[in-house]
Amino acid sequence: MAQVFDVITTAAILYAVAAGLLIVFGVMKIINFAHGGFLTVGGYSALLVTELGLNPWWSAGFAFAIGFVCGMIIERLVVRPLYARPLDAILATWGLGIILGQLITLGFGREVQFVRSPLSGAIDLLGASYSQYRLILVLAAVAVALALGLLLNATRLGLQTRAVIMNESLARGLGINSGLVRFLTFSLGSALASLAGALITPLSSVDPNMGVPWLVNAFMLVLVSGVSQLSLGVACLVLGGAQVLVSTYANPVLGGLTIVVLAAVLLRLRPQGFARE
Amino acid sequence: MHRRLVTLSAGTALLATCLGSPFAAAEDVIKIGIPVGLSGANSVVAPSVVQSAELAVDEINAKGGILGKKVVLEVADDGSGAAGAQKAFDSLIFQKKVDVLITMETSAARNAGLPIVTRGKTPFIYTSFYEGRSCNRYMYVNAWVPDQQVAPIVDYFMKKDKAKTFFLIGSDYAFGRGMLEFTAKYIKSKGGTVLGEEYLPMDGSDWTAIIGNLKAAKPDALITSTAGGAPNVTLTKQLRAAGVNIPYGNLAVDEGTAKSMGTDAEGIFISASYFTNIDSPKNKQFLAAMQKKFGADLKTPNDLSVPEYEAVYAYKMAVEKVGTTAADKVIPALAGVAVDGPRGVIKMNKQRHAPLTMYLAQVQKDGSVKVLETFKNVDPGNQCPNLK
Amino acid sequence: MNSVPAPGVSALASDTLRRRSDLRRLLILAIAALMLITIGPVLLPTYLVNNLIRAFLYASVALTVDVLWGYTGILTFGQSAFFGIGAYAAGLIFTHAGFSPAHAALALAAGIAVSALAAVLVGWLAFYHGASPLYASVVTLVLPIVVAQILYSGGNFTGSSSGLSGFDSFDVSLEAWFRIAGAYLVLLTAAAWLFVRSDAGRVLVAIRENEPRCEYLGLNVSRIKILLLTACAVIAAIAGYAFASVQMVVAPEYAGFVFGTELVIWVALGGRGTLIGPVIGTLLIDVSTAYLSGNLPFVWKLIVGLAFVVVIVALPQGLAPLVMRMFRRGPKLHADKMALQPASEEPLAGLASAGRHAIALAGVRKHFGSLQVLEGIDFQADHGELLSLVGPNGAGKTTLMRCIGDGAERSAGTIQVNDADIERKPPYECVALGVGRKFQNANTFETLTVAESLRIARTRLRKPSMWTRAASLELPDAALRVIQATGLDQKATVQVRHLPHGQKQALELAMVLALEPSVLLLDEPTAGLTKAERTLIGQILVELTSQHRLCILLVEHDLDFVREISSRVIVLHQGRIVLDGTVAEVVESELVRTIYAGGAGMGAAQR
Repeated sequence: MAQVFDVITTAAILYAVAAGLLIVFGVMKIINFAHGGFLTVGGYSALLVTELGLNPWWSAGFAFAIGFVCGMIIERLVVRPLYARPLDAILATWGLGIILGQLITLGFGREVQFVRSPLSGAIDLLGASYSQYRLILVLAAVAVALALGLLLNATRLGLQTRAVIMNESLARGLGINSGLVRFLTFSLGSALASLAGALITPLSSVDPNMGVPWLVNAFMLVLVSGVSQLSLGVACLVLGGAQVLVSTYANPVLGGLTIVVLAAVLLRLRPQGFARE
Repeated sequence: MHRRLVTLSAGTALLATCLGSPFAAAEDVIKIGIPVGLSGANSVVAPSVVQSAELAVDEINAKGGILGKKVVLEVADDGSGAAGAQKAFDSLIFQKKVDVLITMETSAARNAGLPIVTRGKTPFIYTSFYEGRSCNRYMYVNAWVPDQQVAPIVDYFMKKDKAKTFFLIGSDYAFGRGMLEFTAKYIKSKGGTVLGEEYLPMDGSDWTAIIGNLKAAKPDALITSTAGGAPNVTLTKQLRAAGVNIPYGNLAVDEGTAKSMGTDAEGIFISASYFTNIDSPKNKQFLAAMQKKFGADLKTPNDLSVPEYEAVYAYKMAVEKVGTTAADKVIPALAGVAVDGPRGVIKMNKQRHAPLTMYLAQVQKDGSVKVLETFKNVDPGNQCPNLK
Repeated sequence: MNSVPAPGVSALASDTLRRRSDLRRLLILAIAALMLITIGPVLLPTYLVNNLIRAFLYASVALTVDVLWGYTGILTFGQSAFFGIGAYAAGLIFTHAGFSPAHAALALAAGIAVSALAAVLVGWLAFYHGASPLYASVVTLVLPIVVAQILYSGGNFTGSSSGLSGFDSFDVSLEAWFRIAGAYLVLLTAAAWLFVRSDAGRVLVAIRENEPRCEYLGLNVSRIKILLLTACAVIAAIAGYAFASVQMVVAPEYAGFVFGTELVIWVALGGRGTLIGPVIGTLLIDVSTAYLSGNLPFVWKLIVGLAFVVVIVALPQGLAPLVMRMFRRGPKLHADKMALQPASEEPLAGLASAGRHAIALAGVRKHFGSLQVLEGIDFQADHGELLSLVGPNGAGKTTLMRCIGDGAERSAGTIQVNDADIERKPPYECVALGVGRKFQNANTFETLTVAESLRIARTRLRKPSMWTRAASLELPDAALRVIQATGLDQKATVQVRHLPHGQKQALELAMVLALEPSVLLLDEPTAGLTKAERTLIGQILVELTSQHRLCILLVEHDLDFVREISSRVIVLHQGRIVLDGTVAEVVESELVRTIYAGGAGMGAAQR
C-alpha cells in the first residue's frame, strides 16, 4: 500500500514540476531549459520565508509571485528573439539557468541549506503509515492541474491561448494578441516552476543546482505528452510509477534513469508519445 | 591564414596575462592549504572546519607564528567530490604553492587529491573521520576510523535494545561503502543479521524507495553512513516524515549538523571523538576562544572541525621540531608530536593514525547531546601496515 | 580575386597552385604549433602546464562537437559520455586488473570499442529517417545522463560517487604528457580542417543546410550521420583515455551532461563552424576558469553564462568571427573553381529493355487521418513520355509526386519504378531506383557554391574524397546543357544564395539531372521564371525525353507550357484521376472546363 502511495506522490510531484514546462512548450514550441533555474528560484523563495521567520505555508504563494516576476523579465529580454530558433532557444535558456544559479549563489551562498517543512510526521492512511507532507503534495498537484485546466478552458485568455497553441498565425489573423499570450504563458510557466520548487524543498534541501536533475525528467515528460494536460498526467503516472518500481526493486540510481530512457524509447517508437493523435 | 595567426597571437597574449598572476614573490609566510567542500554535500560542515583553522592560525600568529613566519590560510572549494578536488588540489599545490594541506573532505575528494599530493610532494593531514585504510606516503590522519567508532553503537543496540536485525543505509562511495562493510562484518561477528544494505549517490536526496524497503523489512535497528552534511539531513527528514522511529545510529553525523536538523534529530545515536560538552579545561578554553572570535557567526564545533584545529597545532609542532617546512623532514616528525587539545592528548603514531577517546551519545529533544558511554584510548587497528 | 576565365587549363593551373599553397600554410601552422608545444613545458609554470594538458584534451572533444554541430547541424550534448567511456575504460582496467603495456592496450581498445558501439546505438536511435532535430538532440542529452547514472550505480566496481583513483598509469612525465596531448590536438585540428574543406566535408554542410534535399539526391543521411558520430565518439574516447592516464582519477562528472553542455558552450563562444574558434575558445575559457575561479568564483561563471546567452541570442557565429572581422583583409575567398567536364553516362543502360514501364502506379491512396488526399490512382508512364499533371489547387498533385519519391509516404497501393517496387523505401533508396525529384521552391544549399552543389549531387555516383577537393567535376550531358544554357558555368564559385531565382531553379534542375535519373519528377519548374527562361527549360525537357529517353512527370499550373511540351496530360481533381490523355483530348474536354471554371483564372481551358 505504501508503494501505491509512493507511486501516486511521485507522479504528483513530477506533474507539479512539469506543468509549467508543458504550457510553455505548447504555446511557444520551445523548450525552456531555464525551468530548472526557476525551480531553484522557488526553492530559495521558500528559504527566504524560513529565514524571515514567516509561516512556511506562505512559501508556495511567495514562490509563485517571484517566479512570475522573473518570468516576465526574462521573456522580454531573452526569449522573444528566439521564437524561430528552437535549438538555440534550448541553449539560451540553459545559459539563463546558469545565470540564475550564479545570481542565487551570489545572494545566498553556495552551500546546501534547508527550509522548514510546514507539515511533518506520518499519518495512518488505508493501513499504511505515510508521510503527511507527501500526501499534501498530491493535493497540491491536483489543485495546480485543476487551476490550469480552468484557466485554459473556462477563461477568455485560456481560449486565446488554446487558439495560439493550435495555430498561431491563424490566431493572429483573427486578432488575438499572440505576443501577449506568449508573455503571459512564459510568466505563468516560470511561476509554476517556482511554485513546484518551493513545494519540493521541504522534502530535501536547497542548493544552487537543485533544479538540474528535475529539468531533464520534466523535459522528457513534456516531450512524451505533447500538449495535453491529460497526457502529462498519464505520463507522470506511468513513467513515475516505473521509476518507483525500478528504484524499489532494482536500484535507486537506475530508478533515476527510468523516466529518461523509457521516454526516449517511447518517442522513437511513437513520436507523438502519449498524446492522442 | 592571416586570421589564424591573429587568433593564435591573441590567445597567447591572454595566456601570458594568466602567467603574470601566479608569479607571487616568494614571501616569508607559511601557507596552509584547505581544500574543502564549500559547495556540495559537505557545504553544511565546511564553514565550521574553516573557522577552526582560522582560530588556530590566529592563536599561532599571536604567539609569533611558526619559526618566526606568519601563517596564512588558502581555502579552495573542492565541491565535495572528485572532479572539484582535482582542481582544488591542483590550484593549492601548484598555483598557490602551499607548504601543507590540512583539511577535512569526503573520501571521494581525498582519493582524487592524493595522486596530486604525491606528485607535488606536499604533506597532508587529513582531519576527517573516514572508512579507513587510505594510505599515502605524505598523509597523516587524526580522526577516527571504523575500528574505533562502530562497535559502541552496535554493542549498545544489541545490549540495551536487544536488537538482532539491522538495516544499513549509506551514500554510495568509498566512505559509505567502507563504513557499512565494516559494520556489517561486525554485526555478523556479534551474531546479528543484516536485513538490507542500500545506497544512494552522494548527491542524491530522494530516499523514498529506500525508506520504503526499510519499512517493509521491519528491522530492530537502523544504522546509516551517508556523506557528512546534507545527505544526513535529507535522509533524517524523510525518515521522520515517514514515521520511522526505531533505534537509529548515525555513523556520519556531527553535532553541528544534528543541531540543524531540529526536532528530527531527537533520539539519534552518535559515536564520536568530540562533543561540545566534553568536560576538560582545554575544551572549555577552546570553546571560549571560538565564541570570542566568531560571536554570533559561530558554527557549532564538532567532530569534523575540531580535529582541524588540533592538526594545525600538530603541524606547528612538527615544523618547529625539525626547524624546516621541507616535506621529507616534516613527515616523519608528525608521528612524534603530541597535541593537547579539546579532544585530549593526540598522537598520530599508529601507522599514521591516532588512538582516540570515543564517546557514545544520544541527541536530546533540545538538540543537545547526552554522553552515555566513554571509551578511552581506542586503538585504530591495522590501517597502513606497509607505511613506516 | 581573378576575373572569371573560361574553364580550361589556366583555371586548372591556378586552382592547383592555390590548393598547394593552402596546404603549405596548413603545414607551416601545424609545425609552428608543434614547436610551441615542444618548448612549452620548459617555459611555462607547472600549474599552467597541468591545466593546459586538460584543456588540450577538452579542446579535442570540443572539435568533435564543432564538426557535429557547427558543420553538420547536430546539436549534441553527448560527447562527454564518450569521453567518460574512454576515461573509465582506463580507470576500470588499471584499477581492477593492474597496469602493464598489455593492459594499457586492452583499455584503449575497450574504450574505443565501447564508445563506437554506444555511438552506433545512439545514432540508430536518433538519426532515423524522419527524426526531428529536437529528438536527435534529446537523445544526445539522454546519453550522458545514462552513462553517468550507470557509473553511479556500479558500487565498488566503478567507485560510484568517489570514482576511481590511485591506479597506476604510464610512467611518463607531465612535460611529456603536455607534448602528447598538445600533439594530439594539433594533428586532430589539422585533420579536421582538411576534412571539412574536402568534398566529403561539404556533404556535411549540405546536410546541415537542407537535409531533405540530400536525401532526394540519394544520400543515406542516417548512415552518414552515424558514421560521423562514431568517428567523433572514438576521438572523444581517446581523449578521455589520455585524461584518465594523466590524472589518475576518474569520476562520473566527466561523463555527465553538465560537462557535455560546457563543451557546447565553449564551441558556441569560440564560434561554431570555424574549428579553430572552438579550440582557442576552449583553451582560453578553461585556463581562465582555473585561474579566475579561485579568486572570483561566482562572478566568473556568471560572466561566462552571460556571454553565452548573448552569443546565442545575438551572435550565433560566436566571438571568433568578430575578432577576425577586425583583421580581415578583403572579401572572403570562396571555393576553388572547378572544371566541369562531361561524364559518360548510361542512365537507362539495360533499363529500357528490362522494364515495360518507367513508372507504374496501382491503387495508390493517401489519407491524413480522415482526410482522403489521393484515391484510386492507377496509371503507367514510359520512357520518352513527358507527362504533365494538372488540376486545381488541393487536387493532390504534389502529394502524388511525394508518393513516387518516397516509399513511406502513401497509405496504400503499389508503385513501381523501372519495374522495381518501391515498397516503403525512403527517398535515398528511391533515387537508387532511378527517381530524381525537383521541388517546387528552389530547394538548394544556400551557403554552398554552384560547383559545390553540383559536386554534392554527384556524390551518390562518385564517392567524394575525405581529404581533398577534386579539381574537376564530371556531369552528364543533360546537366551540362542546363548549366551552360543558363550561364551557371560562369558562376561556379558564387554562393547559391546570391543567385537570382531563375538560376537557382536551373541549378536545382541541373543537380537532379546530375543524379542521372531515369524518371524525373518536376514540381512547377517554371514558377517565377521569365518567358525566355521558360522557353529554354521547355526545350531542355523535350530534349531530355526525346534524346535521352527520360520519363518526365511534371506538375504545372502554366497550361500554355503544358500544351507546348507535353506528350500526355493527367488531370487530377479532389484526389482522383479524372482524365488521362493527349494534350488535345484534355484541352477539348468539357469536364476539364467545368473543373477549372469552378476556380479563378484559367488558361488553356478558356482558350
